[in-house]
Amino acid sequence: MAFLTLEGVSKEFGTFTAVRDVSLTIDKGEFVSLLGPSGCGKTTTLQMIAGLVEPTEGRISLDGRDITREKPNRRGLGVVFQSYALFPHMTVAQNVAFGLEMRRVPHAERTDRVREALMLVQLSSFADRYPRQLSGGQRQRVAVARALVIAPPVLLLDEPLSNLDAKLREEMQFELRRIQRKVGTTTIMVTHDQAEALSISDRVVVMEGGRMTQVDAPYRLYEQPSNAFISSFVGKTNLLAGTWRRNGTTSAADIGGVLLEASAPEIAAGTPVTLSIRPEKILVRDAGAGRLKGRVASRFFLGSQWLFTVETPIGIMTVSTPNLGVEPAAEGSPVGLDWSPDNMRIIAGNAAAAA
Amino acid sequence: MQKNGPVALIFHVLVLTFVLAPLVIICLVAFTPENTLSLPTTGLSLRWFKAVFEHPDFMASFWNSIWLATLSATLAVAFAVPAALAISRYTFPGRDFLNALFLSPLIIPHLVLGVAFLRLFALLGATGSFAWLVATHIIVVTPYVLRLVLAALSGLDRSAEQAARTLGAGEWTAFRRITAPMILPGITGGWLLAFINSFDELTMSIFVTSPATVTLPVRMYMYATESIDPMMAAVSALMIAITAAAMLVLDRAFGLDRILVGQR
Repeated sequence: MAFLTLEGVSKEFGTFTAVRDVSLTIDKGEFVSLLGPSGCGKTTTLQMIAGLVEPTEGRISLDGRDITREKPNRRGLGVVFQSYALFPHMTVAQNVAFGLEMRRVPHAERTDRVREALMLVQLSSFADRYPRQLSGGQRQRVAVARALVIAPPVLLLDEPLSNLDAKLREEMQFELRRIQRKVGTTTIMVTHDQAEALSISDRVVVMEGGRMTQVDAPYRLYEQPSNAFISSFVGKTNLLAGTWRRNGTTSAADIGGVLLEASAPEIAAGTPVTLSIRPEKILVRDAGAGRLKGRVASRFFLGSQWLFTVETPIGIMTVSTPNLGVEPAAEGSPVGLDWSPDNMRIIAGNAAAAA
Repeated sequence: MQKNGPVALIFHVLVLTFVLAPLVIICLVAFTPENTLSLPTTGLSLRWFKAVFEHPDFMASFWNSIWLATLSATLAVAFAVPAALAISRYTFPGRDFLNALFLSPLIIPHLVLGVAFLRLFALLGATGSFAWLVATHIIVVTPYVLRLVLAALSGLDRSAEQAARTLGAGEWTAFRRITAPMILPGITGGWLLAFINSFDELTMSIFVTSPATVTLPVRMYMYATESIDPMMAAVSALMIAITAAAMLVLDRAFGLDRILVGQR
């Protein structure tokens, strides 16, 4: 059942179109990420849902109610801003209580709900501090508590983790997901970090140049990217440009004279194609074995895995292998690369140049 | 920290002496027991302060000036804050003109303003009323408030206000509860600077005051053209004290460097 719906939503700033014709339905309780590089329109989309930016065209409805032109204070959505936007002249408890105060919640109930919200984000003992006395992660959690305490139908997160350092960011990802599961609030998160989007969302919406280009579950998005941009933006990949060849029942891509077998949809012979294969889908074998010969150009140890760049007749390939406790092929040594043809994806058209 | 050489040191001492010495001397002269403007050599006396407080014209002018400065600073804030919000947040035709118009009293000589207002009031038949005097002072002190409030707004993270809006606050409530407290240092600093400037203003006021609304600086000027006695020093010392007290309050509350230099 569609809970939040965007229909043909666009936003123009003068002659610049920030968001073009975005249509999206989000179910109750879902965690959806808007993913894209900076300037792709994801934050503008979020702000239109929040009511901070008015759409030029289109319609936004929440639980069957048209909210397109409604003021932000009438929508009742919870918003966590990138800068957290805490009120510097109020204590943590006063910050969290603000939304309840605006709703004229009686004092006793307000105190209880503020206490519960702070307990949820594990900041109970910080109620009387001021925002300037808190660390980045604590401020972020206050912002989440402040947005959730009003029990909003939808929680909007604008790059909530981008101001945190790497380790804290990872912890907060799981923390956000834990909180979201517990309260069950429909959540939309804007992020430019693909790992963040993949790890905590139910669905990911990829945006490029103001348009939505793919909406999918994280696993499907990673495995079946719809274009070359997505395949290289979401995770790492090897993109190979070539021409489609058919020979009776078998078909393959001709990459600079080397034929690579791939599962064949309806593609006419002679069509330029781009193939994509993820580094972890490639196996490093002994020299002479596998589908492609190569030489290890460099090798990086990342702890849980090894990352190789391998020189091959069709160009440099990036390969990652799990660390199995045995030292793998050294730099300069010849190797064979192998993979399952199912993992060789064909991205329609020749878009390698764009990536 | 770079250390000053002897030449720089002498230069700095000279500048400080030049700035502070007249103020120090006038304050010392205020305590003289003699009948002439002279440094107290035979002893200290408060007789000239007493003379000020017993002088009905001076006291009337003093209270007149206090009222004038309070009213014009407060009304200037009432005009400048909405103006600063409009100028800093919206683009509209005439925005730069409005900004320049509000700030123009800073560059127009007060003498010119005084003559202009004198003519205008004569034409309107409005000379001499306190309300008109307040109006002229509002015009002169508004730039100070506007500058400081604009500086405060330019450094403000607007998302706090947006957060308040999403949490259910209307536009006015969001301003009153969130934005106003966040720019309060700018508003207070602007008010105090406006107060001090109005309280000290002489050149324009000479033209626009009437016998019933003579301000303290104008009263001093009129008195000094007739006779110079140590009572002038006592009044000067009082004005210095009031201005210094205002600055001290400002510094304690918000930090002078933050307000005047615009650092946050």
